[in-house]
Amino acid sequence: MSTEPFDEFLRLSAELTAFEETDLLGTGLAHQYLAKVRAACGDDVVVALLDAYRAARADAEDDGGRRDPILLDRALRHRIFSDDRLGPVARNVVKLWFAGMWYGLPPEWTDRYGAHSAAETSTVTSASYQEGLLWRAIAANPPGAKAPGYGSWAEPPRIEQRYLKGAGK
Amino acid sequence: MTASTINTRDDLIDYLHVAIALEHATIPPYLTALYSIHPATNSDAAHVIRVVVVEEMLHLTLAANVLNAIGGSPDLTRPGFVPSYPARLPDGEDDFYVDLRPFSPEAVETFLNIERPGAAPSGRSRLVPTPDGGRPFLVSSPTVEGMHFYSIGEFYEEIIEGLEKVAAADPGLFSGDPARQVGPEYFYSGGGAAIPVVDLDSARRALRFIAEQGEGLDSGIYDDDGELAHYYRFRQLKLGRYYQAGDHPDSPSGPPLSVAWDEVFRVKVSAKLADYPPGSELEAAALDFNADYEAFLALLTQAFNGQPGLLLDAVPYMFRLRDAFNRLVRNPLPGSGGHHAAPTFEVPTVAGSGPEASQAASDTAQAVGR
Repeated sequence: MSTEPFDEFLRLSAELTAFEETDLLGTGLAHQYLAKVRAACGDDVVVALLDAYRAARADAEDDGGRRDPILLDRALRHRIFSDDRLGPVARNVVKLWFAGMWYGLPPEWTDRYGAHSAAETSTVTSASYQEGLLWRAIAANPPGAKAPGYGSWAEPPRIEQRYLKGAGK
Repeated sequence: MTASTINTRDDLIDYLHVAIALEHATIPPYLTALYSIHPATNSDAAHVIRVVVVEEMLHLTLAANVLNAIGGSPDLTRPGFVPSYPARLPDGEDDFYVDLRPFSPEAVETFLNIERPGAAPSGRSRLVPTPDGGRPFLVSSPTVEGMHFYSIGEFYEEIIEGLEKVAAADPGLFSGDPARQVGPEYFYSGGGAAIPVVDLDSARRALRFIAEQGEGLDSGIYDDDGELAHYYRFRQLKLGRYYQAGDHPDSPSGPPLSVAWDEVFRVKVSAKLADYPPGSELEAAALDFNADYEAFLALLTQAFNGQPGLLLDAVPYMFRLRDAFNRLVRNPLPGSGGHHAAPTFEVPTVAGSGPEASQAASDTAQAVGR
């Protein structure tokens, strides 16, 4: 199956963040985030990450092409999060979506895998702070941006049902 | 002169229902253009559109105040209240269609058409026969079949004259409960204040304000408060320059205004749910938006029916709608040839009635609702 790296990155991001692709595209920053990961870690790491994701999907599919979410979860942990090279990058992709920042990877990672630009912490664009998924996850507005309306702070946060504990997805 | 088409309180109530729907009908097209603008670009244009759209919300509120003052019940939830876009408006003897468009020269041209001053030539009727076929006009006469108004301005003149006539014959016309009025304590922002309507004088002021803030006074491009009329606000975008006091309408002399027409999400013009891939996440997001918008209109209806305090809750609601709107327009619409998604404003969300059926249903609901 050949798909564009961007589409693969988007699908992987949906797995990593528990937000739908529509929400991820809705930030208007998906392309910039992929470019950021490439700039920080290099294209080889991005290719390896997306390859591992493809392999994890294949692990979780039965003969009919149906995907078992539990198997996929296990395969992602095995192939990506437990991997010394890809695990820290995948965790950083989660942070990138939620906080709009690239957090510098530790020297242990850059010493071993090169890509020294990955060690620098930086924002992606001026919009990425306010588009951080963390604000939607906690149903708050990013302080200083996206004015929520006078008095809205007196109301309980409107967290989507599927993100509430025990609600399942 | 033709005879008045308004003879009774019921006629007035019918007209004011149309007025509320008309004021609302301008809001989705303005919002679509506003939110199609790329973040952090086109700040001049975004500001111009934002000011106008907030003032259209004020106009809607003022029309609801007049309706409440004569004992009517505003209802923003009736089928047909939200038009099916493109919606049809008059431009004198001709007509034009209002689409949900991305910010573009075509969109600005439409906005100029919406707000264009349009007094019928003296001696001509302010009512124009509606040709058969096509979509219903937003300013059709609710009392004379097959006729619509020459312009929005003439439509409001008809209501003002009708109010004067009915009030003269019926001293109890303004018997509505004053507690249903929305005053400035519930509506802040933009130019102009919410005028509580309790008598003929305040009703006239409210309706004149609506007409004049849109089209400009006969005397000039600014009103008494130094507010630029909507028509001229949009003209600035076309001419690339701001007006300042004393300017001739054709030659603004203020600072230049820069517009970057390319810094825009090319949303599909007047997108419908049918344009969305069936069963897709994106379709679900578009459906959610319509459902939220429908619930929002229900909240406004409650606010206009004796609970004006609910308008304070409506403000955060509008910001949530804004955020959902922004998320949709950033999503490419698959299969649309490179266009982006946008809310379809197909409300009510229950399917099963075309525009004609909706129009008929809304007339029925209106009569029953009293």
